[in-house]
Amino acid sequence: MATRSELERRLADVSVGDDAAEIGLQVIGGLSLLTTLVLFLLNSSLTAVPLLITLAAVGYGWIRHQATTARALTFVATVSTVLILGLIAVFVFIESIPAAEVMSGTVFGITIPGLGMVTRLQEPLWQTTTGIYSLLPMVYGTAVTTVIAVAIAGPLGVAGALFISEIAPNWAREIVKPGVEILAGIPSIVYGFIGFVVVNQYTFDVLGTSYGSLFAVGLVIGLMSLPTVVTVAEDAIDSIPESMKSGSLAVGATDWQTMKSVTIPAAFSGIAAAVLLGVGRAIGETMAATVMLGHTQAIPEPVYDVFFNGETLTSVIASQYGNAVQGVHMSALYAAGVVLFITVAVISVASQLIEWRMKQNLEGET
Amino acid sequence: MTHDDSETTAGRTGHTADRMRTDGGSDGADRMRTDGGSDGVDQPRADGGGGFGVDRTGTRSALVQADATLYERIAAGLVGVSIVTFALGVTTLFQVTSVESTEVLGIGLYQLYGLALTVVGVGIVGLGVASNREWADTEPDAYVGVVPLAIVTVLWLATGSIVGSTVLGAGAVGGLLIGLTTGAVSFLIALRAGEDLGSTLPIGALVVVVGVTLLTGLIGPEWVWNPQEFVASFPSEAVVPVFAQGAGLLAAWSGAKAHAGFGTRGRQQGSFLLISMNAAAMIAVLAALIGFVIVRGAGPMLEGFQIGASGIEFPFVTNPSQGLGIQRGVYPAIVGTVWLVVGAVSFSVPLAVGAAVFLTEYAEQGTFTRGVEVATNGLWSTPSVVYGLFGLAFLVPRFNDTRSLLAGQLVLGFMLLPLCLITSREAIKSVPDEYRDASAALGVNKWQTIRSVVLPAAMPGIITGIILGVGRIAGETAPILLVASGPTFPSSAPNVLASFQFQASPPFVTNPELLEAGSALPYQLYAIITAGVGETQAFGWGTALVLLIVVLSFYTIGIVSRIYFRRKLNREQ
Repeated sequence: MATRSELERRLADVSVGDDAAEIGLQVIGGLSLLTTLVLFLLNSSLTAVPLLITLAAVGYGWIRHQATTARALTFVATVSTVLILGLIAVFVFIESIPAAEVMSGTVFGITIPGLGMVTRLQEPLWQTTTGIYSLLPMVYGTAVTTVIAVAIAGPLGVAGALFISEIAPNWAREIVKPGVEILAGIPSIVYGFIGFVVVNQYTFDVLGTSYGSLFAVGLVIGLMSLPTVVTVAEDAIDSIPESMKSGSLAVGATDWQTMKSVTIPAAFSGIAAAVLLGVGRAIGETMAATVMLGHTQAIPEPVYDVFFNGETLTSVIASQYGNAVQGVHMSALYAAGVVLFITVAVISVASQLIEWRMKQNLEGET
Repeated sequence: MTHDDSETTAGRTGHTADRMRTDGGSDGADRMRTDGGSDGVDQPRADGGGGFGVDRTGTRSALVQADATLYERIAAGLVGVSIVTFALGVTTLFQVTSVESTEVLGIGLYQLYGLALTVVGVGIVGLGVASNREWADTEPDAYVGVVPLAIVTVLWLATGSIVGSTVLGAGAVGGLLIGLTTGAVSFLIALRAGEDLGSTLPIGALVVVVGVTLLTGLIGPEWVWNPQEFVASFPSEAVVPVFAQGAGLLAAWSGAKAHAGFGTRGRQQGSFLLISMNAAAMIAVLAALIGFVIVRGAGPMLEGFQIGASGIEFPFVTNPSQGLGIQRGVYPAIVGTVWLVVGAVSFSVPLAVGAAVFLTEYAEQGTFTRGVEVATNGLWSTPSVVYGLFGLAFLVPRFNDTRSLLAGQLVLGFMLLPLCLITSREAIKSVPDEYRDASAALGVNKWQTIRSVVLPAAMPGIITGIILGVGRIAGETAPILLVASGPTFPSSAPNVLASFQFQASPPFVTNPELLEAGSALPYQLYAIITAGVGETQAFGWGTALVLLIVVLSFYTIGIVSRIYFRRKLNREQ
C-alpha cells in the first residue's frame, strides 16, 4: 500500500497510475459490479449489496484517483451498451423456445424446433385454443405493409434528400430539413390514430374494404419511414466530395447531369443503406399497425389481395400480449419478436457494411 | 460532421434552386439575387449557347421580363394548369372537393378535370410539334432518355390494354394485344421521333386520352371498378383524382422540359420540378397532419380553460382521466410521461456520454470500436416492440412480477441509449484536435482535458441529442404498453417523490409508486383508441394534441438549439 504522502504526490502527478491501490480499487469495483449483474440476473433480493459496494468503490475512486476511475467508468458504459444488445437477443430468444418446441418441423427425418412456425401451410395457421402458432400470416402481413411502405418512402425519400442537399435554395432547405425531422418526431401512436380515423374510414367508405387493411397500414407506415430515408440518404449525398461535383460542372454538365451521373452513382451505396434502414423502420413499426388493423391471422385468397385486414409481426405482439395467459401463447409472441429482431439486425448490419464500404471508396477517391 | 461542406456548397445549390424556382413560371422578381457572377451571364437565349446550364439564367430573365417568347409563355401556362390539376386531384382525394359539391362555371368537377387535361395534352403535343418543326428556338437531343422511354411504353401498354378490354370490348387477350400494339407504337415514336416529339407526343396523347375519358363522362360519378380479386372496389371518387394527379404530373414534367427547350436543360427543369413538388408535398403533409390534430384536438383540450382571478384553470391538463362528476383530463398520463422520461434520461445519459467519451478519447480505433458501433446501430434499429418484449422477459420478473414505472423507465432508457450515444459521439468527434493539443500542452492529463475542454465544447451537441432523443421516447407506446401500462383510465397520478422509503435490509431503498404500473400520454391515447369510438374520440384528439405539443416542443427546442450552436461554431471558425 502506498503511503499518504506518496498518494498525494501521485495525485499531483496525475499521470494514469498503475500502483497497487488503483488496481485494487478497479478489481473491487469490477468484481462487485459483476456480482451485481449476476445477482440481478438471478433475481436475488441481495442485488443491492454488491451495488452499494460498487458505488462506494466508485465514490472513493472518484475522490482519490479520478482519472483512472473516469476511464474505467467510461469503459463500463461502453461495455454495457454491447451487453444490453446481447441481453435483448438472449432473453427474447430464450422466451421463444417453448413455442418453437411445440411448432417443430421435420426435414429429412430431423426435427428442427420452430420450423413449423414458418412452414405450416394448412389452416388454421394461428389458433390459440388448440395451440397452433404459425407465424406465416404475420410474416406475410409485414411483407405486404413493408413493400407498400418502401414503394412510397424509397423514391420520395431519395428525391427529398436530393432536394435538401443539392437543389434547395437556403430558405427552402431551412424549411424542409426541420420539417422532415418533425415528421419523424410525430409519435407513431398519433400516426396510428390519424390512420385509424382518416385512412381506415376512407378505405371503408369509398373502397368498401373492412375497417382496416394492410394497404392502409402500408400507406401510413410509408409516410412514417420517409424521414429515415431522407435523413440517411441526405447524409450520403452530402458526403460526396465537392471536388467530384465541381469536376463534372467544370466540363459543362448541368446540375442535373452532375447529380445523375456523378453524385447519385457515387452516393449509391449510401442511398441503398438509407432505403434499407427505411425497410427496417417499416418492419419494426408497431402502433400504427396495431391500432389500424383488424387482426385476422390468415393469408388472404388470392395472396396479392393487399386490402386484406390482416396482421403483422409487430401488431400480433402488441395486441395479444395482454390475453396471452398460456405460456406457449406468450412464447409464440416472443418468437415473433425473434423474427423481427433478427431481420432488423441483419438489415442494420448490412446497411452499416455498405456505408463503410462507401466511406472507404470515397477516401480512395480523394 | 458534414455541415461545413454543406455551408460551402450552399451558395452553389442555392443559386441553382433560385434559377429553378423561376422556371416554374411563378414570380421571378428576385431571380438574380444570388447570381454571384459565376454563371449569371445575362445573355439572350438566341445566341445558341449550346447544351450547358451556364447561360440559361439569361433565358430565365427573358421569361419574367417582357420579351419571353410565346412558346415559353405557353409552356409555362401549361405547366401551371397541370400543377393546379394535380393539386385539385389531391383535394378531391381527401374529399375537400367532390363531384357533388364542386362546380365551376356550370361545369362539373370531372368535366373540369377532363377539360383541363385535354387542353394541356393538346398543348403539350403542340409544343413538341412546334419544336420539331423549328418554329420555336429549342435545342432537343436526338433521343429521349431511358427513363422517359420506359415510362411512356409501360403507361401506353397499360392504357391500351385497359381501353381495349373495357371500352372496345376486346376481352382480356384482345386488350393485351391492343396494349402491346399501343406500347410498341409509343415506344417507337419516343425512340425515333427525336427528343422533342418523343417526350411530348406519347405523354400529351396519353393525357388527352385521360382528359377525353373524363370529359365525355366515360368515367362519370356513377362509375365503379369492381375487381374480383380484391375485397375492395374502386368508385370514381377514388379513381378520378388518382388519374387527374397522375396525368397532371406527367403533363407538368413534359411541359417543364418543353419550357426549357428540351435537351439537357429541359431534362434538368423537368426533374427539378418533380423533385421540388415532392419536397413541397412533404411539407404540405406535415402541415396537414399537425393542422388536423390541432383542429380536432383544440376544442376538447381547451374545454373549461380559463384565466381568472383565482389563477389559471386548465381541467384537461390538471384532472384525472376518471372520477365522479369531473371533466376528464390527462393529468395522470402527463405525470407518468414525466417520470418515465426523467428515469430514462438519468439512467441512459450518463451511460451514453461515458461510452461516447471512451470510444472517441480512450479507445484505439479498431475492431473494438467498430464492434460497438455495430451494436449501437443494432440497438438503434431494434423495433420498439422488441424492447417491450425484452423488458417483459428481463425486467418485469425482477420487479415484483408486475408492470411498473421503473421497468418502463429502464426500457425507455435502453431505447434512448443508442440515440444519445450516436449524437454524443458525433459531438465529441467534432471538437477540434487543437483544443485537446492546447490543453495537453499545459501539462494536464487526459481526463482533465476531457473534463475541462472536450466535454464543455461538445456539450451543445450532446444536449441537442438528448433533447431530440427525449422527444422520440416520450412518444413511444409499444414498450410502455408491455412493461409499464396500468389502468386505461387512471383516477390518480403516481406520487413518486413522496414515497421513497429507506430500510436497513436490502434493497435498502424502495419506492412502491415506482413499482406500480402507471399511465403515459401515448398509452392513454392507445387506451382511448382501443376503448371505442364516439364521445371518447374527442378525448382522444385532445390527448393526441397534448402529446404532440409535448413531443414537438422537445423537437423544436432541439432543432433550434442545434441551428443556433452550429451558426455560432461557424462564426468562430
